[in-house]
Amino acid sequence: MNVSRFLVRRLLLVVPLLVFITFFTFMLTRLGGGDAAALISGPNSTAAELDMIRAELGLDEPLLTQFWIYISSAVQGDLGVSWVNKRPVLTDLIERLPITLELLFWGVGLGALIGIPVGLRAARDHNQRFDQVVRFFSLLGFSIPTYFLGLVMILVFFYFLGWSPPAMGRISLMITPPPAVTNSYLIDGLIAARWEVVQSAFSQLILPVIAMAIIAAAPIIKQTRAIAMDVLSSEYVRTSEASGLSRRVIQSIVARNSMTPIITFIGTELTALIGTASVLEFIFAWGGMGQYGLQAIIQGDFSAVQGYVLALALFSVIVFVVIDLVVVLIEPRADMSA
Amino acid sequence: MTTFENFRAEAEPPEYSVGRRMIGLARRSGTATIGLAVVVVFGVVALIAPLIIPYDPVAIFTDRLLQPPSATHWFGTDGNGMDVFSRVLYAARYAFGVAVPAVTISVLIGVPLGLLTGYRGGMFDEVTVRFMDSLRVFPLIVLALAVVAATGQSLLNVILIIGILDSPVFVRLVRAEVLQLRSSTFVEAAVATGNPVRRILFVHLLLNSTKGAMAQVAVRAAWAVRIMATLAFFGVGIEAPTPEWGSMIRQGAEYMATGQWWVGVFPGVALILLVLGFNMMGDGLQDLFDPRRRAEKR
Repeated sequence: MNVSRFLVRRLLLVVPLLVFITFFTFMLTRLGGGDAAALISGPNSTAAELDMIRAELGLDEPLLTQFWIYISSAVQGDLGVSWVNKRPVLTDLIERLPITLELLFWGVGLGALIGIPVGLRAARDHNQRFDQVVRFFSLLGFSIPTYFLGLVMILVFFYFLGWSPPAMGRISLMITPPPAVTNSYLIDGLIAARWEVVQSAFSQLILPVIAMAIIAAAPIIKQTRAIAMDVLSSEYVRTSEASGLSRRVIQSIVARNSMTPIITFIGTELTALIGTASVLEFIFAWGGMGQYGLQAIIQGDFSAVQGYVLALALFSVIVFVVIDLVVVLIEPRADMSA
Repeated sequence: MTTFENFRAEAEPPEYSVGRRMIGLARRSGTATIGLAVVVVFGVVALIAPLIIPYDPVAIFTDRLLQPPSATHWFGTDGNGMDVFSRVLYAARYAFGVAVPAVTISVLIGVPLGLLTGYRGGMFDEVTVRFMDSLRVFPLIVLALAVVAATGQSLLNVILIIGILDSPVFVRLVRAEVLQLRSSTFVEAAVATGNPVRRILFVHLLLNSTKGAMAQVAVRAAWAVRIMATLAFFGVGIEAPTPEWGSMIRQGAEYMATGQWWVGVFPGVALILLVLGFNMMGDGLQDLFDPRRRAEKR
């Protein structure tokens, strides 16, 4: 079976999942019976006004009809209008998605860059001092709430040390943003060849990215260690040891054979980490999709909440498919018929 | 005769009882012992908080807004003029008051469902597993926030939703165990002697398949405390003046960039300590219940 057929099959399996996800997200906001009409019209509206707004939004229809309307327009790219800022939800999401992905990319990248080597070494020296220290810090990483880590970093690096700029968005307020191409100021600044933009965007990125990396590194370390321990106890490693290969060669065998499960793990972890990114965005006034979504949740802006949760689920689904594809491509033993 | 009895007594495995294993583990695993100690200390604080706190946790001292830590207010006062120390201690009650029932709910849903899906298999199993897997595409924290925000602000909702959202962990663990045990001799014997399914599930399989799940209880408690605080931080579920860590950090957040750190840092540190305590305890529990991990440690 070739790769393109594998991909087609994998994508076909995704369709029922997407329908379920859409249904679930739709029901999510209808659960509590919070009254959207009352939210929009304010406290001083009459019953007739409320009825009018409900009719306008289609909220007087039966739930299943509402769902059908929602999903058929969602397929056509219409996710409704935010009741707070009156803009189409899809436009808002697309505009803000790259901003979130930028934070996620650098944060998880840095987290993996630290986590994988540390995890490998902890497995090699397991139960020795290094391993014990790493295990403790990994547990600590699991125990620190994301928002608190972000806040403490602001306190220390902005207030006490004065090393970092105020945590107000992705670029200094003094600088006019470059023309939007990718919506990442770092890249847009490079495209526009404006050094001060790149510099400001970079210094704004440092704190949230480090916070993101710390949160991401803890599970990566733990899992890498466990995977590498498994590989270490495998028979081919024992054979390699017995045939007198050097420690370095064996280390590289272990590293290479651990890579596929580690990549798979990081992929599945991204589902949770995009939630973490959302929280950090909120703390650092990042203005991406995450901050938009969390604010929508707090304000009860149903269409925006639906769109945001749907976008997160879609992101995970895409990541899962990509991960499967990567594994198939780099792992000769992978079974494509599954 | 006496020699024979002596022989039998000696043949008894040295680490038979859980109690003795606990002591053995405490010797072997410092992490677990420290974790347990931390949790116990917080538990005691939660129990006796009303007796030991110097001030009412919601009493307002209008003349003492945002005072730094001092002899009269050990952790300072917050923006409302409330004593941070009293509030931090009192908040331990909310942590245990949410985590304990939430994890209990997870277990009460997850274990029977895991037993049933694993033993019965078929359509019911398929649908349950598919449903749980589909939920994995959502970040749990966002799901929890959205559901609590949609269903309304109450402590009961927070407990129920944390409990329900976390139950798949137990379903998966128990189900995996049952799948392995289903065709073993003792289950076959139980079926052959005419035991009803209910009895096979809750008498024969229950204790044999829930060790892994029980080892997770402390880790799940850590998660429950974290999620509760996160919800409160975003102002969802638990309302503002409540002495609860997440909600206190929320208040402290606005003072972080201006230097009144004590408002948010003390509750944050308390929260981290308790969550870390649960996690360390969980680490040790997993060693206790999982022979593979125990062997690895030696």
